[in-house]
Amino acid sequence: MTDAPDDIELNLLLSAIRQRYGYDFHGYSRPSVTRRLQRAQSYFGCDSLSMLQHRVLHDPSTMPQLLNFMTVQVSEMFRDPSYFRTLRETVIPHLRTYPSLKVWVAGCSEGEELYSLAILFREEGLEEKTIFYATDVNPDAVKRAKAGIYAMDRIPLFTRNHAAAGGKVSLAEYYTAAYGRAVFDKTLRARTVFAEHNLVSDQVFAEVQLVSCRNVLIYFDRELQDRAIGLFKDSLPRGGFLGLGSRESLRFSKYFSNFADFSPAERIYRRDVAHSHSEVTAHALA
Amino acid sequence: MIRALDRSNEPLLLSIVAALMAGPFVADLLVPLGVAVWVSYLLPIVLTYLGWRPQLPVILATLVTFFMVAGYMLSPVGVDEDVAIINRGFGVLTAWIMGGAGYYFVKNKIAVQAQEWVQAGEVGLSQTMGGELNLASLGENILRYLAEYLGARVGVIYMQNGQGLTKTATYALPASANVPDVINAEDGVLGQAVKDGRAFDIRDIPDDYLSFGSAMGKGKPRHVLAVPLKADGIVNGVVELGFSGDLDPSSLTLLERVAPAIGTAVRSAVYRAQLRELLEQTQKQAEELQTQSEELRASNEELEESQTRLERQQAELEQSNVQLEELAQQLEQQRDELQRGQLALQAQAVELERANQYKSEFVANMSHELRTPLNSLLIMARLLADNRSGNLTDDQVKYAETIEASGNDLLNLINDILDISKIEAGRLEIRPEELQTKDVVSKLRTTFAQAASQKGLTLRVEIEDGVPASFVSDGQRIEQVLKNFLSNAVKFTERGEVALVVSSMSDGRIAFNVHDTGIGIPETQLGIIFEAFRQADGTINRRYGGTGLGLSICRELAQLLNGEIHVTSTEGKGSVFTLTVPTHLEAAAKDGTPIETDRAEIRHITEILTPPTADAQPKITRPRLIEDDRDNLAGSERVILAVEDDPAFARILFDMAHELGFHCLVASTAEEGVALARQYLPHAVILDLGLPDHTGLSVLDRLKRDVRTRHIPVHVVSASDYAQTALAYGAISYMLKPVKREELIHTLEQLEMRMAQRVRQVLIVEDDKTQLESLGLLLASRDVETVGVRTAAECLEKLRQTTFDCMVLDLSLPDVSGFDVLEQLHENEDFSFPPVIVYTGRDLSADEEMRLRKFSSSIIIKGAKSPERLLDEVTLFLHQVVSELPPKQQRMLTQSLNHDAVLEGRRILVVEDDVRNVFSLTSIFEPHGVMVDIARNGREALEALERLSSAEPAVDLVLMDVMMPEMDGLTATREIRKKRQWKDLPVIMLTAKAMAEDQQQCLAAGANDYLAKPLDVDKLLSLVRVWMPR
Repeated sequence: MTDAPDDIELNLLLSAIRQRYGYDFHGYSRPSVTRRLQRAQSYFGCDSLSMLQHRVLHDPSTMPQLLNFMTVQVSEMFRDPSYFRTLRETVIPHLRTYPSLKVWVAGCSEGEELYSLAILFREEGLEEKTIFYATDVNPDAVKRAKAGIYAMDRIPLFTRNHAAAGGKVSLAEYYTAAYGRAVFDKTLRARTVFAEHNLVSDQVFAEVQLVSCRNVLIYFDRELQDRAIGLFKDSLPRGGFLGLGSRESLRFSKYFSNFADFSPAERIYRRDVAHSHSEVTAHALA
Repeated sequence: MIRALDRSNEPLLLSIVAALMAGPFVADLLVPLGVAVWVSYLLPIVLTYLGWRPQLPVILATLVTFFMVAGYMLSPVGVDEDVAIINRGFGVLTAWIMGGAGYYFVKNKIAVQAQEWVQAGEVGLSQTMGGELNLASLGENILRYLAEYLGARVGVIYMQNGQGLTKTATYALPASANVPDVINAEDGVLGQAVKDGRAFDIRDIPDDYLSFGSAMGKGKPRHVLAVPLKADGIVNGVVELGFSGDLDPSSLTLLERVAPAIGTAVRSAVYRAQLRELLEQTQKQAEELQTQSEELRASNEELEESQTRLERQQAELEQSNVQLEELAQQLEQQRDELQRGQLALQAQAVELERANQYKSEFVANMSHELRTPLNSLLIMARLLADNRSGNLTDDQVKYAETIEASGNDLLNLINDILDISKIEAGRLEIRPEELQTKDVVSKLRTTFAQAASQKGLTLRVEIEDGVPASFVSDGQRIEQVLKNFLSNAVKFTERGEVALVVSSMSDGRIAFNVHDTGIGIPETQLGIIFEAFRQADGTINRRYGGTGLGLSICRELAQLLNGEIHVTSTEGKGSVFTLTVPTHLEAAAKDGTPIETDRAEIRHITEILTPPTADAQPKITRPRLIEDDRDNLAGSERVILAVEDDPAFARILFDMAHELGFHCLVASTAEEGVALARQYLPHAVILDLGLPDHTGLSVLDRLKRDVRTRHIPVHVVSASDYAQTALAYGAISYMLKPVKREELIHTLEQLEMRMAQRVRQVLIVEDDKTQLESLGLLLASRDVETVGVRTAAECLEKLRQTTFDCMVLDLSLPDVSGFDVLEQLHENEDFSFPPVIVYTGRDLSADEEMRLRKFSSSIIIKGAKSPERLLDEVTLFLHQVVSELPPKQQRMLTQSLNHDAVLEGRRILVVEDDVRNVFSLTSIFEPHGVMVDIARNGREALEALERLSSAEPAVDLVLMDVMMPEMDGLTATREIRKKRQWKDLPVIMLTAKAMAEDQQQCLAAGANDYLAKPLDVDKLLSLVRVWMPR
């Protein structure tokens, strides 16, 4: 059975990327990858994916730009404010019981999520005992996240979100604006480790009490999703928290049984072992 | 530009005009008055119309006036002078008219041309601004066009692009020019231009403001034009042009005219840029939405699939249910039937038992009943036969004797029947004793001598050589058998002899042979003669008497004696009956008294078990220690220790323990008991008090005094009553021998229940009284008992006395800190060290946390949610034994402990942020004799290396994680390599990243090697061995 030429081209291109640069996109959601490569194709003015492949292989400046196409970076600070509100009101009290905390923002994009969490933790007084890990597969994104600079016209949205998420002061306390851009307080990232990390190929690197990975898994196919969730599971201790994007779910993952719903509406899960908490309480109070 | 081209023609024009002026003048001077040569002055005037100077016709007109006058004066006489004056006057007038007209004409021409130039400039500019250019290109194009069109030497254009007026493009601007990047409203002239919205022409330029030049030299512009660009009246840009020469007013006009157009173009370009960005944003969002919806759809599909699957499963389940119900019903029926069958069997067994009992009772009774009258009968008969008073006739005496003989026969018959029934009922007892061969034999001879002689037979008795003088057997029964043989022999022999010969067999057994020369037994009958109630020939009994029971009894008896009976016979010649018995009779077969235990099976289970005592049935000699389970334990089963020297009872306990699902260890001495208890820590001990070496009470005492074994419940079983003492010493219960099986089972079952639901003990160490109470309330439950203490001293005391399942420890205690308590518990073996949960109100530093983590895997800081977490952790501890670590890490921790020559005594610095890995790595290396130091990030690693550089041993090797806060592994390694003394220090990177270039990065940073996580223990060890310096 012969594959359609488009599929052949696509596979060849992905192989080329993997062999030349080491980025493996085979596990990403196929339709999504196809769409994005087509956009990239027209951006670079190539008539076909094969021509794009030629550019990728022979023009070193192509890959970083292509990487931007492949690893989508739509984000905003305090995105889905109710998620952050729920974190603030129900998860943080649990986190307070730990002597020291680590938080992993997987797929941090340009840092919006990281700064949101940093601000949240600062407002709740947990900043001093927390270390953040912000990782992404795209080195440019990591660099930009480290800089913490966003266009001015995005700030009003951020401010609204922050307020809706239960912000104690105005978001303006945390940034300075000039020349049409806003730079976020660099002390917010003083306790953050920025690193490149690829959920396709890399491993667990620390034990963390909270993993926030939102709107990343939707771009992966089932197998890769399971791998990523497996990494999160191994990074979390008993009772640790995992937060996903508003349209994501653990239900069909093979690690479903390792987690319990903590706040189903906000897609926050809790790592559990043999007893679920309700069982434990019931048993202990029997 | 255009002008310059035209100007180049001017000299030519002027010269022609000059010539055309000079010519007629000269002619006029030569020609007499009246000849109107001066008319040709008009020609040059008209020619000046072609020029570009509006003054030229007027100048010419003036010149013509002079020439006319001069010509009049100097011209030779000709026509009337007045006429000439009038003519010349008209000429001058015409010249002036022409000149005047020419002036306006040329002026107009110039103006039109300027306008055309401006318009051309506009058009050209708008062409360059066309297309969809971005701001930078647009600016460049505009600037270049304007500069070239206007002849400017240098230019800068500023545009509003969201950040203020930024320098967008330059034209011929040297790099050294001091030109700001952004303009504010206050910024000098440009700022003014922006504010006022007007164009400015600046004359006095500061020296380094806007210079131009090439590699050959620099110049300062003479004029600088600053023109604001507006769109809809809002300034959105400024153009600055520097001119080295004078400025053409048209330039300013042009600039002012095009300013709005440029402004609009700039604005459009800005809008376009924004649009593009927004479009990209939208596309990305659309992308995300689409992907999300795809994901949702996929989830939906899976949900539907699960649903159908579930429905199907449900249907199947229902079906199975129905089937199961049917099966269950069937099973129930079967079970009922079985039960009925069992009951029936039981009833039958009971019946049988009863029947047997009746039978033996009956037989016993009957024998009594039969014998009593028989007795009297025999006595009476005897008396009559004796005929003491002599009043009976001989016949009457004979009758009496016959009565007596019959009575005796009847008696024998009754005895035989009784014997057979006893043997069948299994009640016959064999009593071995030492017998003298001679005595046995002579007794028999005495008994039968008379009977034999009465019949005229010879009775010979002989003991052959080799027969032992004594042997062990049941004399009574041997007699019985031999008597039977002999009486048969006598009975069935008419003439000849009956001989009893005792001989010794080749296998050492003794044979009693009874020879007779009687009628013999046909071969075909040899078998049946031994069957009860049958004789060789049914007719025989009439002739020879006897019931035929005798030989069958003999057969049974011979079996009981462990012997055999043989018969040989020749019809008409005689027979030989031989009884062979072993010289040493042991109590029947290999399994005790089989008859007795067979009986026991039928009896009800509530029978009393008596351990065999010395004078009961002969003991079976068994091996001293019975086989127990000590080699079969795998560690997590329930184990019972039985300390009992009596092998039989020990065996019973062993089997019972197994029945109830326990493993069982058996010790037969007190010493062994204590040793086994200490070693295996069983869940319960069953202790006999009567032990060979020390009393069981000493065992009990020692077990209760030892911290390790004090918690084990001990059940004492003994033959003598020391109940109170044992209980006082700490036994849980006491059973008196003989112990009912029921009692033992009950005890063990209790134990099992208690173990499954054993009440757990939790020790809470908290100095605040209210806190202590509330914690106690929180944790207590049906299975959990809490003990509270408020100081460290009390805590240690309690741990010295009792074993706890779990401990909750506050760090701030009044006397000694919680840290020190933990250290003490760790070092001192007198205390039982349960798992610890640290529950404290104070915040911990990173170092303190590390310290605590060594002893306690769970640290909870007090707060709103902490009771929940505490409860969770405590429950988990109490109900779960399985380790938390995934199998790989468990394997890491249980590696075999070979001491490794390469690693022994070395020092490794582990730089790792993840605490779990820290401890696993430590536990891999420490058993090999390695000293492990820990740093939690790159900075600490460098400090540690500094600190340990003078230590002994120095750091031999560094294991470096990559992702750490403060300073990551790559940076740290580079820093290490910078120092000369650490240039060759082996560094192995532990990286979670798997891409080839990440690993190349490790090597590039200076690492000697790398290992990817998750760590393979064997690989890690071999790498470390490889890189460890010699």
